[in-house]
Amino acid sequence: MPYDASDSVVQLLDVSKEFMRDKIRIPVLTNTTLHIPKGDFAAIMGPSGSGKSTLLNLAAGLDRPTTGRVIVNGQDLGVLSEAGLSRFRSENLGFIFQMYNLMPVLTAFENVELPLLLAPLNRAQRRQHVEAALRIVSLADRQDHYPRQLSGGQEQRVAIARAIANDPVLLLADEPTGNLDATSAQEVLDLLELLNTQFGTTIIMVTHDPKAARRAKRLLHLEKGTFVQADIEALETSR
Amino acid sequence: MIPIKYNLRSLWARKVGSLMTIASTGIAVGASVFALGLSAGLDQTLEVSAGPLDIIVLRQGSSSETASGVSEAVAREILALPGIATDQQGRPLAAPELVVVTYLPRRGNAGSANVTIRGALPVSRDLREGMKVVEGRDFQPGLREAIVSRKLAGRFEGLGMNEEFVVQDKSFKVVGLFEAGGGATESEIWTDQKVLAQVANRTGGTSSVQIRAASKAAQETLLNHIKADEQIALKAITEVQYFADQAQAGLVLRLLGQIIAFFLTIGAMFAVANTMYGAIATRAREIGTLRSLGFGRGSILTAFLLESLVLCLVGAIVGCLASIALTKLFGGQSAGTMNGVTFTEIVFAFSFGPNVLMKGALLAVFLGVVGGFLPALRAVRMKVVDALREV
Ligand SMILES: Nc1ncnc2c1ncn2[C@@H]1O[C@H](COP(=O)(O)OP(=O)(O)O)[C@@H](O)[C@H]1O
Ligand SMILES: [Mg+2]
Repeated sequence: MPYDASDSVVQLLDVSKEFMRDKIRIPVLTNTTLHIPKGDFAAIMGPSGSGKSTLLNLAAGLDRPTTGRVIVNGQDLGVLSEAGLSRFRSENLGFIFQMYNLMPVLTAFENVELPLLLAPLNRAQRRQHVEAALRIVSLADRQDHYPRQLSGGQEQRVAIARAIANDPVLLLADEPTGNLDATSAQEVLDLLELLNTQFGTTIIMVTHDPKAARRAKRLLHLEKGTFVQADIEALETSR
Repeated sequence: MIPIKYNLRSLWARKVGSLMTIASTGIAVGASVFALGLSAGLDQTLEVSAGPLDIIVLRQGSSSETASGVSEAVAREILALPGIATDQQGRPLAAPELVVVTYLPRRGNAGSANVTIRGALPVSRDLREGMKVVEGRDFQPGLREAIVSRKLAGRFEGLGMNEEFVVQDKSFKVVGLFEAGGGATESEIWTDQKVLAQVANRTGGTSSVQIRAASKAAQETLLNHIKADEQIALKAITEVQYFADQAQAGLVLRLLGQIIAFFLTIGAMFAVANTMYGAIATRAREIGTLRSLGFGRGSILTAFLLESLVLCLVGAIVGCLASIALTKLFGGQSAGTMNGVTFTEIVFAFSFGPNVLMKGALLAVFLGVVGGFLPALRAVRMKVVDALREV
């Protein structure tokens, strides 16, 4: 099937993924094909264990598909070595986790600076990037705070700053509001929306929360290893 | 690269575990440094004792002065040999010397040990450049007076200034204390040769003849000459050789120190590995996150090896300092052990030179790398997706 790679940031081509557990094969994704165009904000919903996280991991090159190809930003991840994948992640991707995953021993500033240490930037340039990222998430005044001194919502905003610090083309968010209260969740979603509309960052967000999914431009529903038809408007009316 | 502050602060964050590991490596490195300092101290003591041009003449078959004897007549013959250095007055720098061993009680009810008494001639002093009386005065010929090494004075009853000790029922008075540059002489008591010979019933001969050769070549000639003379049945060896043989001294002590240090090192290695395994297990999600940010396997390996190295180096510093402090605290750095050849007490100072401390540092690096390697490898091998699923 011919496809136009130029406007797709993520392409999963006939991807299958199965895990082995106690010598039993567990199929998670079966012959799944997916195109995420540049500038998209896609929400992925689906029951627990349906393979949502697995899908994000494949798109991030953190795991490899059993069969099929994963192409991100024009790069076939299958041809990259481990070191190549690391480098690719550092240059192209931002990751947001449900549990924030900040380094507890580093300050907000130092956490955001982490991915920049892999970029060819000097100290002053890194500082600029970190400060800009923290300003976007409205935490410039908290740069010297450690994660334990921040609320969950603030931690997640620091994590977002870390994810966007080196201007990734693609943001992958795995239940970014899953651990937050309603207000903090709103703030995080506002931020993601801002990044998508103002900065044109492509976002794939896995979520359980219909309210979160509604903020996306597109809804994908993952069930029994493949995507099924989903209607974001239907979500809206069900609220 | 992952910033080192990440590892340093992580160490700080789990203080108890880190401190226990630091203590463990500290004990291992401290014990090793202690054992090395002891060996180096012994070697140094015996090394500074030896004059490069000096020769010791002993009876054939004896390996130390205490078990040797040279008759007066033969000694005179030797003093007349060519090639012996002379002093300003033209007298040969050579001295027949009498060595007697006496059994003295240690201070503080710590048992007794053999101590060497040397019956010396005036020229004996010229053969020991480093020797000088630092307290009191020299002994007078013809009297039962003695001077004692300052180190020895503190270790045995009756050897302190103005105290008296007994040799063969006769008491000697300590009239002076001396130092001898840290050499083997610092394990001796000196007195007048004639007086000692009478008291110990050793008239008519001495234990050895000490000779300073005029040159290296003369030394060679003298050695060969004495060896070749079958009639006198003596052996002549350089003093360097003599003390190298005596370096067997404290062999048991050295061995024991090394064995203890070895087992403590093995223990410390497990402690380091255990701590690092724990650290890596509890930080699996952090490691997964670092990988997802783009840090490669090399970065992870380096970071955790460094973390383990820091742990061990801090331990090493603590251990070295503790070791030095302990030896300073007990006996002002000087210690005694049995000379395994002469069975007399030999006093020496622990030596913590750069060489010893360097070895301590190397041991720390070894501990850090070996103890930290397998845990760091586990961090590297961790599958990112599994690490991220850890809570
Ligand atoms: N690394 C793994 N090893 C074994 N099984 C896994 C692994 N990762 C995911 N799975 C299994 O794959 C299925 C999908 O997991 P996941 O993608 O985490 O689901 P979701 O994020 O949609 O809840 C689950 O049954 C899970 O147990
Ligand atoms: Mg999941």
